[in-house]
Amino acid sequence: MPLVTLEGVGKSFGDNRVLSDVDLSVEAGEVVVVIGPSGSGKSTLCRCINRLETIDEGRILFEGNPLPAEGRELARMRSRVGMVFQSFNLFAHRTILDNVTLGPTKVLGQKRGQAEARARELLARVGIADKADRLPRQLSGGQQQRAAIARALAMDPVLMLFDEPTSALDPEMISEVLDVMRSLAATGMTMIVVTHEMGFARSAADRVAFMADGRILEIAPPDDFFGAPKSERARDFLARILQH
Amino acid sequence: MSGTPIVLADPPGPRGRRRILISSIIALVVIAGLVTLALLRLASKGQLDGELWSVFVDQPDLRTLLWNGLLDTLRAALTAMVLAVILGVALAMARMSRHRAVRIPAVAVVELFRSLPVLMLILFAYLGLPALGWKLSAFWALVLGLTAYNGAVISEIFRAGIASIDRGQTEAAAALGLRPVQIFRLIQFPQAVRRMSPTLISQLVTLLKDTSLGFVIAYSELLRSGRGAVEFLGSRYALPIYTVIAVIYIVTNNLLSALARWLDRQQNRRLGGGHAELPVDGAVATGARPAAAVPEQGGPGGTRT
Repeated sequence: MPLVTLEGVGKSFGDNRVLSDVDLSVEAGEVVVVIGPSGSGKSTLCRCINRLETIDEGRILFEGNPLPAEGRELARMRSRVGMVFQSFNLFAHRTILDNVTLGPTKVLGQKRGQAEARARELLARVGIADKADRLPRQLSGGQQQRAAIARALAMDPVLMLFDEPTSALDPEMISEVLDVMRSLAATGMTMIVVTHEMGFARSAADRVAFMADGRILEIAPPDDFFGAPKSERARDFLARILQH
Repeated sequence: MSGTPIVLADPPGPRGRRRILISSIIALVVIAGLVTLALLRLASKGQLDGELWSVFVDQPDLRTLLWNGLLDTLRAALTAMVLAVILGVALAMARMSRHRAVRIPAVAVVELFRSLPVLMLILFAYLGLPALGWKLSAFWALVLGLTAYNGAVISEIFRAGIASIDRGQTEAAAALGLRPVQIFRLIQFPQAVRRMSPTLISQLVTLLKDTSLGFVIAYSELLRSGRGAVEFLGSRYALPIYTVIAVIYIVTNNLLSALARWLDRQQNRRLGGGHAELPVDGAVATGARPAAAVPEQGGPGGTRT
């Protein structure tokens, strides 16, 4: 059974059709990288999977069950899915350590000491153990994003969603975040990653999904996709971004 | 808050600096002239005579009277402040509720209290409620009137504070599996309080000044005590007594502001130090926007939605 299944998913913002007839299934342990031009609906797709956006058509299954619409069940489902945002979204008034322990203590009901020990371990794993007592605004963008990854991992998720995790970063900080994501992929974490980083897609993805105009036009292993893209749109897109 | 003052324009160049210097000198001369003129006029009318001003030394009863007046002012103000903040938070939460049945009454209450003069609310509490069979002392009538008006205003300040928090904060909390009530308590509320604190303090200063409206229902607050003293001692004592009362108000309100600044600093220190507004080594990428200021909420009656 796939971990996540999207069947005929469609969504519009007013007259603007952002997703049409999207089918996708992701197996446990798989890394799927979603690429495509701006406005192709990749972020919306990512945000639909933990219901930060609602869908108008089709259905999304998580572990075989339709996404809960509200309440305790929705919160429980979200607690099993980690999310990393483009703009980090660390809680601005809490220290890095508190950011990481908030979910485990308030959602999972862990003891403070246990949550803290685990948080420090995760912060060390993403390379910012020394920043535990800082506030988010005192960290660089790359450090903030790594803290955000640690925050998501502290919930022991079965799936991680990355919504353009490096798009808001200065160029020199992109690789430090991608390295963390690569090592996470290597541990067997199931990941859906929306990104513009083709190098990451090539090296870390099991499959690459190419989106344009709200549809998935192609989905294939990276070697096949980058070696011989089938659709005109994908060839165009790759030609444009690989030129420089 | 400290350091360079907030200015609206570019830093001035050499010509601008010369112009600013010249206009500053002219302004100083004019102000000094006006003050001298006022003092001369007062002196010629005998208003600056030592005997008039030594009344505070000669009359211990006057000191006691003003001191008790100040205590009554503070008692009413502090009680109303606590109640108004509680009411404000409750109204703001009700107004942001998902349920219309909760939202609509809250909107009605806020708009009603906000659009009536405080004085009218105080009079209603003192004269109107007894007609409904609920008799209040002058103290509670004043507190109730101030609470109703300021609670409504504070709820709007608070709502603006919540609205100014980046959506991403709420989304990140929801993505962790936090429930809406937890998101409010753990993420939105603490951040809103910090952002709205300057506006909130200025509203509380307004509240403290508005306690002087207690005079219409014979509540013995500071200003009324002063007026009583002037009536008793004679109107030539009006200037000294009212001047001293003004100074007391100024000092009290500045102490209130200083207390707020001190609390803010304590909180900053507890949160790992550093200047609150300054990001370190380029931490502000496109995503991490600096805190959007809560829209300014003017003096009494000067709030907007």
